Amino acid sequence: MKLLRNTAIATLFATGALVMPLQAQELTMAVAAQSAGQLDPHVSTKTEDKTVFGMMFNGLVRFAPGSMSSDAIEPDLAESWEVSEDGLTWTFRLLQGVQFHGGYGEMTSNDVVYSLTRAGDESRSSVSSDYRAFQSVEAIDDYTVRITLSEVIPSLLGVVANYHGGNIVSARAAEELGEDFKTNPIGTGPFAYGELVEGQYLELVAHEDYFRGSPEIDKITVRYISAISARDLAFQTGELHMIAGSREDRWVNSMTASGESVVDVFEPGELRTLHVNTAMAPFDDIRVRQALAHAVNREELIAFAGASVARGNESPVPDGYIGHEPDLEFLSYDPDRARELLAEAGYPDGVTVPVAITERASLFGPMQVLQAQLSQVGINLELDVMEHSAWHAAIRDDASSLVLYGAARFPVADTYLTQFYHSDSIVKTPTAVTNFSHCNVADEQIIAARSEPNGERQQELWSEAQQLIVDEVCSIPVFELLQVWARAPEVNLGYELDGSLSLGPVITEKTTLSE
Amino acid sequence: MTLADTNTPQRTRTASLLRLARKNKLSAFGLLMFTLIVLASIFAPFISPHDPLDQNILDRLQDRSAEYILGTDTFGRDTFTRILYGLRVSLMIGLTSTFLAMVLGCSLGIIAGYRGGWVDSLIMRVMDMLLAFPTLITGLFIVAVLGANFVNIVLAITVTILPKFARVARAPTIALKEREFVEAARALGYSDIRIMAVHIAPNILGEVVVLASLWAAYAIRIEAYLSFIGLGVAPPTPTLGTMIRDGFNHILDAPFVSIYPGFAVLLVVLSLNLVGDGLRDAIDPKLRD
Repeated sequence: MKLLRNTAIATLFATGALVMPLQAQELTMAVAAQSAGQLDPHVSTKTEDKTVFGMMFNGLVRFAPGSMSSDAIEPDLAESWEVSEDGLTWTFRLLQGVQFHGGYGEMTSNDVVYSLTRAGDESRSSVSSDYRAFQSVEAIDDYTVRITLSEVIPSLLGVVANYHGGNIVSARAAEELGEDFKTNPIGTGPFAYGELVEGQYLELVAHEDYFRGSPEIDKITVRYISAISARDLAFQTGELHMIAGSREDRWVNSMTASGESVVDVFEPGELRTLHVNTAMAPFDDIRVRQALAHAVNREELIAFAGASVARGNESPVPDGYIGHEPDLEFLSYDPDRARELLAEAGYPDGVTVPVAITERASLFGPMQVLQAQLSQVGINLELDVMEHSAWHAAIRDDASSLVLYGAARFPVADTYLTQFYHSDSIVKTPTAVTNFSHCNVADEQIIAARSEPNGERQQELWSEAQQLIVDEVCSIPVFELLQVWARAPEVNLGYELDGSLSLGPVITEKTTLSE
Repeated sequence: MTLADTNTPQRTRTASLLRLARKNKLSAFGLLMFTLIVLASIFAPFISPHDPLDQNILDRLQDRSAEYILGTDTFGRDTFTRILYGLRVSLMIGLTSTFLAMVLGCSLGIIAGYRGGWVDSLIMRVMDMLLAFPTLITGLFIVAVLGANFVNIVLAITVTILPKFARVARAPTIALKEREFVEAARALGYSDIRIMAVHIAPNILGEVVVLASLWAAYAIRIEAYLSFIGLGVAPPTPTLGTMIRDGFNHILDAPFVSIYPGFAVLLVVLSLNLVGDGLRDAIDPKLRD
């Protein structure tokens, strides 16, 4: 191993010394996926796509690079904004002279109106529910946009930020290209779409006319390498500057110890939640669900991933989100009580449940730990291991009574509660999102909190909702897993990386490659 | 006299088998190794103090130690114990599918060879069709369509090696059916089924058994391939292939998790091959040296 590392350094130095000064600055990175999804920022929900969208698009406002706290929201395409007293009318003044990629001209209010309308249109967007309170989006003049809401929403700036539906696309490009837009996405970001070779790599090229200045890096190659060992090896031999790491203590420690790479562990924590289908036997009986909750040993699951990348969470809303309630009454680890409850529910000899699970290690690993824990009390899981996309389809088809799911959303309680626990979001209904548990006990509180003007009262409602969900055992929140990336020391991101809603280190115009 | 002919070759072959152990030390070693492996997997609970499914998260990915002879895997399960239990599953899949393929394949081959004509064409063209697909692809296809579980994996491997047995059984049947003792049997009015089962099958058994021992090794390897690409028996049941796959995520920092089960596959396949080679030498003296 040492020999390998030394060779890697030698290679790095050799290529660095000989090639770098002569050639254009090219940055290579590898993400943990087999291929790109649909490269349309309003459609794709894939982690790896979000990272590249962060480099290709802008919103009206943005989370300062390397941060994902709402306090860090700053102007992006809008230079300033005003909000009416009642919080229902928002007016944004746009920057002038912002150019789209590929000669699609200047970005004007027309593009903003088009983008936000598109993001709120169910047929063209996967996040339309975030925009349901949008009554109208109008262009006042070429550089002024007015958004009128039907009711106050928890964070308007959040949904017009550089994240998911808030990404501004070129109206002309989207209309002209139609279906082809996703293979030729046009935004205003520091990097433009270059080429996609399905299953191999995505090439991004510098957008010379970027409004914050021409990027230092000329080209980014994003490689799709799903196996961590393959990414690791390519990184160690110097073929890649940055890789999505393994979210494990061991990996972080050995990478840090090597001294030849920088490991970034950053927010958001993706909450791993075991959603329990309350409409399907045997979990339609609350005693069985309670038994399940008593059988889960969080300590062990956190130890499995490691303290440097994982932290416990008992709340259905991830830590750090506005509205997260840290002090809930929950069912703690108590295998004896679990066995009792199971017997009371009519399963003294245990119960066997078929469960679908993805083959991806980040969920499959913890699921196997859960399987062993649950078997201790007599809940036996028959795992059906599926290819990742097939699994996504199966769980949305209500095919599994337990769904271990990991997600990071816009950091406001409303998003998480609505998507996972509001009855409108129940899977296999017309308005389905990701409510796998058929939970419907906190609808009232979730709706009321959404437009509650009093901040304290809003928090109360959110806390109430979280307690109700925990009491009903719609889900068992288990632990949060942080984002882990490694980069070669010569990559200077140009900002401090504490968090990234794009779920990866976004390369900006300031990012450099030193020798 | 004619009827006694059927027994003569068998007797000499039994004698050869005994001679084999003395003459061919390597094959005897293979046989010994295979026997030990089978015994170890059968008596796994008495050999290892650990449970193959018992997770000790805090002890995960440890290298060899007094407590964990071959270290632990991602979930802190004892690798040595899992290899023993994994061998059970792998051997069971490998041997069951080879046996099934042998019985079915030989029956089809003998029928094809004995009957000839359109029956022969029909059976053998179907077999050719199956042989046209690369073995792993056929197995993959069957498991992917029917779902990965013990029965389907056995079925998949059976189908992939069945045509090979059919071919091997057919050729000698064509030669044997012209022999006097078969004609004599026919003259005595025995049914075709009886002739095939009693007079022809025992005469090709030797060759078939030799090939079976070689192909059993092959079947165990296919099981490992299928498990490695994620089409194996569902977790947490250990098989050698799934163990190698599980360890693959840690191949750089904890290579032993994959290496030990890989080595177990190597030993099983090697021992079966040695036995097979020895058997072939004993049965076909022309091939000796």
